[in-house]
Amino acid sequence: MIATHPAHGLLAGRLLVCLGPGGVGKTTVSAALALSAAMAGRRVDVMTVDPAPRLLDALGLGGVDAAEPRGVPLEGLAATQAINQAEGDAAGARRRPARPAGRLRALRLDPKRTFDAIVARHAPSPAAADAIMQNRIYRNLSQALAGVGDYMAMERLLELSEESTTNLVVLDTPPAREALDFLDAPRRLLDLLNSRAVTLLGGGMRRGFSVVDLAARAVLSAFDRLTGLHLLGDVQAFVRSFDGMYAGFAERAGRAQRLLVASDTAVVVVTTAEPERIAQAHEFLDALRAAGIEPRAVIINRTLPTIPSMGQIRRAPLGPALRRKLIRAAGEFAALRQREAAAIASLRAGGLPQLELAASPDLGREPIDLADLAWLGQSLEIL
Amino acid sequence: MALARLILVTGKGGTGKSAVAAALALSLAQRRPTTLVDLDQRMWAARMLGVAAHDGNQASSRHGADATSKLDPIADLETISLSASAELEAFIERIVPIKAVARRMLQSRTFGYVSAALPGLEAFLMLERLRIIAGRAALEDRYAVVDAPATGSALELLAVPGALKRLAPIGTLNRLAANVESFLADATRFAVILTLTPQELALREALEASDVLRGRLNVSVAAAALNCVPSALFTRSDLDALEAPPGHPGCARLAQWRDGAGRIAARMRRDASRAGLGVVELPMLFSPALGRAELQELSRVLDAWLFPAPPGTAPRRAGKPPRAARPRAAKSR
Repeated sequence: MIATHPAHGLLAGRLLVCLGPGGVGKTTVSAALALSAAMAGRRVDVMTVDPAPRLLDALGLGGVDAAEPRGVPLEGLAATQAINQAEGDAAGARRRPARPAGRLRALRLDPKRTFDAIVARHAPSPAAADAIMQNRIYRNLSQALAGVGDYMAMERLLELSEESTTNLVVLDTPPAREALDFLDAPRRLLDLLNSRAVTLLGGGMRRGFSVVDLAARAVLSAFDRLTGLHLLGDVQAFVRSFDGMYAGFAERAGRAQRLLVASDTAVVVVTTAEPERIAQAHEFLDALRAAGIEPRAVIINRTLPTIPSMGQIRRAPLGPALRRKLIRAAGEFAALRQREAAAIASLRAGGLPQLELAASPDLGREPIDLADLAWLGQSLEIL
Repeated sequence: MALARLILVTGKGGTGKSAVAAALALSLAQRRPTTLVDLDQRMWAARMLGVAAHDGNQASSRHGADATSKLDPIADLETISLSASAELEAFIERIVPIKAVARRMLQSRTFGYVSAALPGLEAFLMLERLRIIAGRAALEDRYAVVDAPATGSALELLAVPGALKRLAPIGTLNRLAANVESFLADATRFAVILTLTPQELALREALEASDVLRGRLNVSVAAAALNCVPSALFTRSDLDALEAPPGHPGCARLAQWRDGAGRIAARMRRDASRAGLGVVELPMLFSPALGRAELQELSRVLDAWLFPAPPGTAPRRAGKPPRAARPRAAKSR
């Protein structure tokens, strides 16, 4: 059955990572793909980041603590479809019935809680864990520090992928300004923890420091003078408190990195057909390739729907005034279609050798239930 | 309406922040010299206007604030691209007097880690730069428009002075942060425009952002720019005719596609004004491309909103949204 799905190539692996600029509907696409895979019989976990409340409801995560994976009842989906079809609902008729054979679980990433849990697990003692969590830097700005949120997504991913009952993990990534914010997160955090900055920040002089290090020291002390507070002391304490945990972090980060380049991992870039987003998608693709990750597909979300042709409108038995309006609307539609086609063509022109280009049509509104997600998943077409 | 010297445009991703920022700069530039400020080096707003190189990197030099180009001789518009790293460099060069050392330091990996370990510093320096730009605008009777990142990042950025003040309860940094904070709270110098499109999610995000800005950050929100609103084309009886048996599902879908957003927009306008958020409505442009001509169309709507004709000089109906521009595609057919 999975082979019949247009995006089967993406759903057959063990990990599917959805990257992309903000506001393109990454979360919706991730959920729709996960649902498609589950309906095709796979055992799927989908990890969402900051989903819209309605999508949360659709996945059964609304108003609940969803830090742990929760089952999404697919039986309900089949029932909804049956009812829609019995009533001859036009939307229901669009939705192909599917017998759920697989399993879908959804969870919501809470970076702060995940970080707390990891600190608690890796810290040499409860007192050490406490010291970290009480640190001003950790409390105030740990989110801003070296992509902690992204790193946490990686951690959860690793945990999920190691569960034997799951055969596909779909990962919706945090909104990123740069493509590699997410993929690079483990390395950046490790760099920070491992950096000579730690010793520079407060420690005494050691041999082997260059003029550059001395200059860095000068800047830092100037900064401390300027601030008149012990911010740097806190940063240092923060980084130092990870001392004994470095090895554990490094080992897990290495595993996460390997997972991302594994042959059964598919990294896809989600975008919309607006020129600015397409340009960003290009940046994402380039950055991925530069990092040695070959993106498997670009999914263009919210493409324009199908409308009747000019001929069909002209032939429709309607009053002349209404027909004129429809013809005008179709003309407006054609202009936007032209804009969309130009954007897609520019994506192609960027050179996408083995890349699948897929389009996910606009639902015309926010997806509110599993049936909507199922429809989006089924409607995905390869361009 | 007294207009802030510097207006920061932000909104949910995909709601047309850059287009609105560009159109706003265009309309202000008709009145006073105007600076269009970009915060991410892509210079998308300037590129849409055709006043920046297509390659964003070309436009940003080592010093962000020096990357000034004045390519539009008609509208008095200059574009500046700020970058956090350039601001940090300028800061380092100020406090490390020996240039060669400063330069080598900036290239070192160690320094990269160190700056990562000083959270909020880069963001703070960006805001300090905006404060200077707004100060210059007030002196020279100019305006500045900032094409900011999406709501989440923009709110993080604007929260930095407060966070720094909490981290540094006394001392120089506290004073500097307080300075920036009072700039952000001064409605004559700084205001935010939130962009949204007729989607419930975008409205919710705008209302939440407005609450945070006004309530927690003490920042003035000038308006919500409700973007991509199609003027109504089909009447209720048109829709009924399309749905009456035997029905024309394809045509009904087309009519729904064409007018649906307009109906949502009307509802959103009510919700926004109930929440105390003024709305300026921008028309959906059914055009095959989005370039300077289209932005000019948007800028005319913004101009009418920003500088309403005094009562008596023109028959303007107060309280009504500006009329949507005539769709271009219809003309071209």
